[in-house]
Order: sequence, then C-alpha cells, then structure tokens
Amino acid sequence: MIESILLWAFALLTAPLFAGIIFKVKAFFGGRKGSPVLINYYTLIKLFKKGSVYSTSTTFIFKLGPMVSLGAAATALLFLPIAGHAPVFSFNGDVIFILYLLGLARFFTIAAAMDTASPFEGMGAAREAYFPIICEASMFMILILFYRLTGDLSFAAYFSGSQPFGLWQTAGSPILFVVIAFFIILLTENARVPVDDPATHLELTMIHEVMVLDHSGPDFGFIEMGAFLKMFFYASIVARLILPFELGNPALNLALFSLGVLIVYLAVGVMESILARYRMDRVPKFVLTSFALAFFATAITLEFLR
Amino acid sequence: MNLFFLSILIISAGGILTLLTFRFFPLMKILGVLGIGAGCCIGMLDALSKLSHDGSASASFDYLDTLSLAFQIDGLSAFFLLAIFAVCLLATIYSFDYMSNTGKALGTATNYFFFSLLTASMALVVVAGNMITFMLSWEIMSLSSFFLVVYDHQVLENRKAGYLYFIFSHVGAMFILAAFGVLYSHTGSFGFDAAGMSHAAKMLVFILAFIGFGSKAGVFPFHVWLPHAHPAAPSHISAVMSGVMIKTGIYGILRLYSILNLHTPVLGTMVLVFGVVSGVLGVVYALGQHDLKRLLAYHSVENIGIILIGIGIGMIGVEAKNPIMAVLGFSGGLLHVLNHSIFKSLLFMGAGVVLKKTGTRSIDALGGLLKNMKVTGVTFLVGSLAIAGLPPFNGFVSEFFIYVGSFRGIAVGSPVFAVSLLAIVSLAVIGGLALACFTKVVGVVFQGEPRSRAAHDVNEKGPAMLLPMVILAGACAVIGVYPGGFMFLVLKAVAALGLDYGRIPMEPFARISANITWGATLFLAVLLALLALRRILYQGKTIGRAGTWGCGFTQPTTRMQYTGSSYAASILEFFKPAAPLEEDHPPVLGLFPRQTHYRSHIHDIVELHLNRLVVNPVLWLFDKLRWIQHGDIHLYIGYILLAIVVLLFFVKP
Repeated sequence: MIESILLWAFALLTAPLFAGIIFKVKAFFGGRKGSPVLINYYTLIKLFKKGSVYSTSTTFIFKLGPMVSLGAAATALLFLPIAGHAPVFSFNGDVIFILYLLGLARFFTIAAAMDTASPFEGMGAAREAYFPIICEASMFMILILFYRLTGDLSFAAYFSGSQPFGLWQTAGSPILFVVIAFFIILLTENARVPVDDPATHLELTMIHEVMVLDHSGPDFGFIEMGAFLKMFFYASIVARLILPFELGNPALNLALFSLGVLIVYLAVGVMESILARYRMDRVPKFVLTSFALAFFATAITLEFLR
Repeated sequence: MNLFFLSILIISAGGILTLLTFRFFPLMKILGVLGIGAGCCIGMLDALSKLSHDGSASASFDYLDTLSLAFQIDGLSAFFLLAIFAVCLLATIYSFDYMSNTGKALGTATNYFFFSLLTASMALVVVAGNMITFMLSWEIMSLSSFFLVVYDHQVLENRKAGYLYFIFSHVGAMFILAAFGVLYSHTGSFGFDAAGMSHAAKMLVFILAFIGFGSKAGVFPFHVWLPHAHPAAPSHISAVMSGVMIKTGIYGILRLYSILNLHTPVLGTMVLVFGVVSGVLGVVYALGQHDLKRLLAYHSVENIGIILIGIGIGMIGVEAKNPIMAVLGFSGGLLHVLNHSIFKSLLFMGAGVVLKKTGTRSIDALGGLLKNMKVTGVTFLVGSLAIAGLPPFNGFVSEFFIYVGSFRGIAVGSPVFAVSLLAIVSLAVIGGLALACFTKVVGVVFQGEPRSRAAHDVNEKGPAMLLPMVILAGACAVIGVYPGGFMFLVLKAVAALGLDYGRIPMEPFARISANITWGATLFLAVLLALLALRRILYQGKTIGRAGTWGCGFTQPTTRMQYTGSSYAASILEFFKPAAPLEEDHPPVLGLFPRQTHYRSHIHDIVELHLNRLVVNPVLWLFDKLRWIQHGDIHLYIGYILLAIVVLLFFVKP
C-alpha cells in the first residue's frame, strides 16, 4: 500500500518532466537547443505564484473546470498499476468508472470553455465533444478484448505484475493492434499532432489549447497539471504493453517502466516533428482507425480463444 | 391494498374539487395540489413499505359477471408505483407556481382534473390484475394525457401534436388489444396467465404487445409522437409524461415477459437491437434539435433505448443460463427506469422555468441564464451530468450495471458475444453523444452571454417550482453515491419477474454498489483536497475581472458566440445517412451583400418515410372508401344489421 502511494506520487511528480521531453525532441528535429527539460516545473511554479483574471462572462463552472479535470486525472492514476505494482485502489469494473470519470473531466473542460462566450472556445469545445466519442468506442472495444483474455474489468488485472506479458502470450498479434490503437487514442485524448497541434499559432485551428485561453494563474496551472497526468496515464498503459517484462526487483521494474514511458513520449515527439496536423474533417477517420484495429483484434481472438 | 385505493381516491377527489372551485383561482390550485400531493404521498409510502417487506396484495371486484376488475401489487408494480407517485408528487408541487395564468381558470382546473386522472390511471395500469382492468386504465391514461397535451389548444401546432399523439396511442392500444385477444383465445380467461399456450402463439403475443407498448414508451421507430407531444404540453406534464408515463410501456413489456415465460434467444436479441437503435438515433436526433423541450423528448427515446438494452441483456442472460448476467441486465434496466424518471423530470422542470421566464424554447436564442437563475442552472447542470451517465450521479450507476451485465455476456458463447459487444459499444457511443448534447444545452442555454433580448433580465421567482428541482437534483446525487439501498429495492422488483432463481443473493450486487460508493467518495475526496489547495494558492492574490479574450478582436458581440447548431454540426455530419440535415442559407454575394440567414432542420427518417409509406397509402385507401360514408341514416342501420348477421355466422359460442 505504502509503495503504491509512493509510486502514485512518483507519477504525479514526474509527469511534467516527461512532457518536457517532447519539447526537447521537437527542438532536436528543428535543429534548436530547446527549452530545459524541467521547463514544465518552472511554468507550473510561475503559474501557481500568479493571481488570476476572470472574464466577466464566466460563472463558478469556469473555476470548477480545472479542479475537476485535475481531480479526475489524479484519481485515474490511483487505479492504474504504476511500474507493474498493484495500484492504490482497485475493484472489478474500475476501468468503466475511470473512463467515465475522464468523461466527467471532459464535460467540465467543455463547460468551462462555453462559459467564456468566446466563439473560438466554442469551436474548440465542439471538437473536444466530437473526437473522443470515437475514442470511447474504441476504448470499450479494447476492453472487450481484455475482458475476454482476463475475465476481469480492472486495470490491476491488465497491467500489474506479469499480466501484460500474459496478454502477449495468449494473444500476441491482437495485442500488437491494441498497442497501435492505444497510441492513436493517446494522441487524440491528449490533443497531440496529428489530431491537434499544441504549438499552433491560430486559435481557429486548435482544440485543447483554445479551450483554456481564458484560464490564468493557479487555475491554468491545474489544467496544465491535469493534462500532464492524463498524458502520463495513457503513456503508462502503452509503456506496460510495449515492455511487458517483470524483473522481480521493484527498483528495476520502475526503471524499465520509466524507460517504456520515455519511449512513448519520444515517439509522440517524433510524430510531432515529422507529421503535420490533419485537416479537421480527416481527424475522425484517423481516430476510427483505432476503432477498426481494436475491432479486428477482438475478432481475431474470437477465433483462437474458442 | 386499502391504502392504495385510498390514495387513488384522494388523488381523484383533488382533481374533481378543482373543477368545482375553478372560480376561486388560488383556492382551486391549493386544493388540487394538496389533493394530488397527499394522495401521492400515501401511495408512495405504501409502495415503499410493500417493496421493502416483500408485501404483495390483491383485490378484485365483480359487477354482474360481465365486468370483473382485478388488482394485484407485487414487487414490480410497487417499484413502478414508487416512481409514478414520487414524480407526480413533485410535478404537482411544481405546477403550483407554473400554472399561474389567472385568465385561464377553467383551463387550469381542467388541467388539474386530467392530471389527477393521469396520475390515478398510471397507478392503476401497473397494479391491474387482468386484461379488462389493464385496458380500461390504459385508455384512461392515454385519453387524460391527450387532454393534457392540448392544454394550449389555441396554437395550431399543439393541436396537431395532440392529434398525432392520439393516433399513436390508439394504434398502440390496438396492438396491445390484439395481443390480449390472442392470449384470451388460447386461455379463455381475462386473467394474466399463459399456461398451455403454444410457443408460436406466445411469440405472436409478445411481438404484438412489444409494438403496442413500444409506441407508448417511444421506442424507435414508434417514437414519432414523442418529440411533438412533449413540447406542446405544459412542462410539469412533460415531466410526468416523459418521466413516468412512457415507462408504463416498459412495465407492460416486462409484465408480459414474466407472464409468457417464453424461452427463445430471439426475443432478447430483438429487444436489445431495438434498444440500441433507439438509444443511438435518439441522441443523434436530440443533438440536432433547436427546441429545448424537443431535444429533451428525443433524449427520452435515447434513455428508453438504454433501458431496453438492459432488459435485452437480462433476457439474453436468462437464455444463456447465466443468472448473474440476467439479474444485472434487468436490475440495470429497472434502476435506469427510476433514474431516468428522476433526471428527466428534473430537466423538463428546468426547461419549464426557462420557458416561463424567457418565453422561448429556442436554444439558440438563449444564453447566460446561469447568472440570474442560480437554482435552475445548478440543478439543470446536475440533471445533465446524470443523463450523460457521468459519475458521481445516478445515470452512471444504472449504466454501470448494464455494462457489467453485458461484459458477463462477452464470456459466454459466440452469438451472445456478438450482441453483448453491440450493447457495450453502443452504450459507449450513446454516452459520448449524450455528453456532447448536454454540453451543448448547458453551454448554450445557461452559459456564455444572452443571445437575444429574451434571455436578458430574467429571474427565477417561484419557490414551488424550485423546490422539486432541488429535491430531484439531490436524489440524482444520493443515488449516484449511495446506490446500495436503491439497488435493494430494484432487486425486489427483479425477483417479482419470476425468473425462477429463487431468492436472489444480495451480496454480489451490494458489492458492486459499494464499489461505486467507494469510487465516488474517493473522487470527491480528491476534489475536496484540490479545493483546499486552490484556496491556499489564491490566498492574498489579486483577482482581476475583464472581458473575454477575443484573440485580438476588441469589438465582440454576443451574436458571435458559437450556437447550438454550429456546436452540433460536425457530429451530425458524421451521422448524415441516418439524420439528413436540411439547410437554407442564401450565399453572401457582392461587395455590399444583403442580409442573409441560416436555417437548418434535422429530419427524423421515420417521420420522413412514415408519410410516404404509411400515411399516404392509408389516406388513398380511405379516400376510395369514402362512398360508404354518405350521411344516410337508414343505410347506416343497414350496416349494423349486416354486421350482426355476418357475426352470427362466424362467431362460435
């Protein structure tokens, strides 16, 4: 239990660090030196020191939004086995609970954006409401596959200990599909290229960044922190799937896990450096790919798990 | 049973008293509200005690051997009674401030009278013990609700809506009657009993009844009346109709399922597929609506879909010999009946306050209401979160049970696997779409800035309207965090379905409820911690207020805001084949373009094809038969004689 909480704290503390790595990768591809790896910590500290300016159009929902999105992401990590260690909490069905909790966070992020009466934020909100619908469908498709393989509905049963290795052993090729599908979901849910470009200059073309335009100070810090945690949440799932090994020693496990997470963040950085953002009407097709992959993965297992 | 009849008596008395005292407007309303309210309270307590103590009761009356009325309360009836009385009680309190048009005293009195009839007849429908009682109560329910829909009969649109509702409810009733006819022809009694019927006959009864009950419940494609009737009716009536009246259709399906004791995998799959189609298309059409109450009406179609998915999973579980899956499916569906009646009546009441204070139902004309309508806005937000199925509110709990039940089906065999997969994926899609739809409603109606004069300077006076909404919002949160006790009641209702599982063990279900409580508490604890952290971080900081950042544009107007139509446009594009969008937008041309406009309408494909495939052929046929109707009374008497002679030949004694 103590170890689980420590690992949870580890996740909370290192999530901004990993997100900083993406900047480094992009700077490398751009031939620049880039910002320091710890940039996100500096940003957070700076934001927490500031006060806030609120739009006269906003209500209490605008202030509630950042807390709910950070709270949901932090709660989600409580249920996720970090570095293969048992999570802090777990129950049968916690996967559904967490997916819906992240839905609640999305509801409040959108509501906070609509609160400002800004046409740009409304535009971002409409997109934020649209693309994750497909993500959710493919998440549940993957869940169906995992349920078939493990007979359980909790993160602990999928990603703790030697479970991921077991998944590969029972259904190797479908899991390969699942890794790609998860990666696409990661890109979509966390507003990365090619779905959304966090570095774009034009508000019209943004999704997530435009929705938080009016937030400032500690509130904005909460949003940033929530985004780091959410990204870490998805990245650690992919990390456990690509490096499913159990080394027996907690320290070694943690190192291996960090390596896996690092690989995921590097991949995101590389994607961002070599790809352009898709046109908005192409995005659904891209996200649907993940659903198709998950569907085929499940269809394949139906055959050889008879 | 006596308490039940007492409550019906008090409710009816309240209705009749309003008719007698309509000249004294406030007195009339007080009498109506007190009568209906007191009756509902008694009925609710009675149902609750019956439900928690496994009590059942029955009574029957015979009149000259021709008319035999029978009443029977078991767990299933008591569960529905609980929802009916609870929602009607709150709706009648709400009506006290909502029905404030003193110039329409007689109309208001009539409204109370039919409201009391509707309440009483809904209660009688779910306790009816034989076919005659059932059909009588069913007809009273349909007719009284028809008169409630046409309350504002001066408006042509409302009369049309009422007419449409009338046709649908009676065609539906004909199907139910046909089903009962088949049942009677096999058993020879009016009682609810199907012993010794052949398999094919049972199938026929179930399918006929499903169409009949489905048209009342608003199952796609029999839902056409719903989005017309709900906006036409006064809001507390919409709340009752959408919250509980359409559930009598669900009750009918469940009751027939338990009577027929039919064992075939086809029916469960059929119910589930109807549920999936209703669920997905209901929410897609809802997303395209511009009228707040019409949007909510389409959400009823969606939620009936979710309930049917639950029931379908339950029926499939029974066939697959998987008791846990069966009980999870049925209990999820039934809990969603209760949950939907809570949050949907809350939302309709909220829409009613908005309509009353702004005078418009058009979503795109509103905005920024939350600032002046705190109670309405917050309770509406709670209702929206609940209907979108998000934790920690009640909509999530019932969907969670249906999810867990469906996942049980994944582990069974190939055919069950396929339908369970369909159920899970469509539930996920419905959830996502409902979230999109309610962020649209909350975002456009309650947040941002007012889009038209109607939304300026509103208030929310009327404590009798606000109190029921606060109670309902509280119920959403309580069931969402502590579902255990409600699950206990639901399992009693499931036990009454007669699935032959003996006593259903509480333990696994109590554990799931406890898990939900645990998860919700944990999240709320994290949220509280963040609230404390936020307070510390803002200690002694300067807080400024300014206009919204317009991305460099300094002269924004409220008309630049995103509207509900634009918000939903890209999602609707995805569902174009099922939901064709008609747009009217003259292009902007020249250097000095003239004023242009944009109008869009989303077509319901059933409505679109119903005219072509059903209405026009029927009209054509009736046109050809018009010569029968000539106004000559002698020939009419001749018809009657002819009919009797023909019947004498064909009907065997």
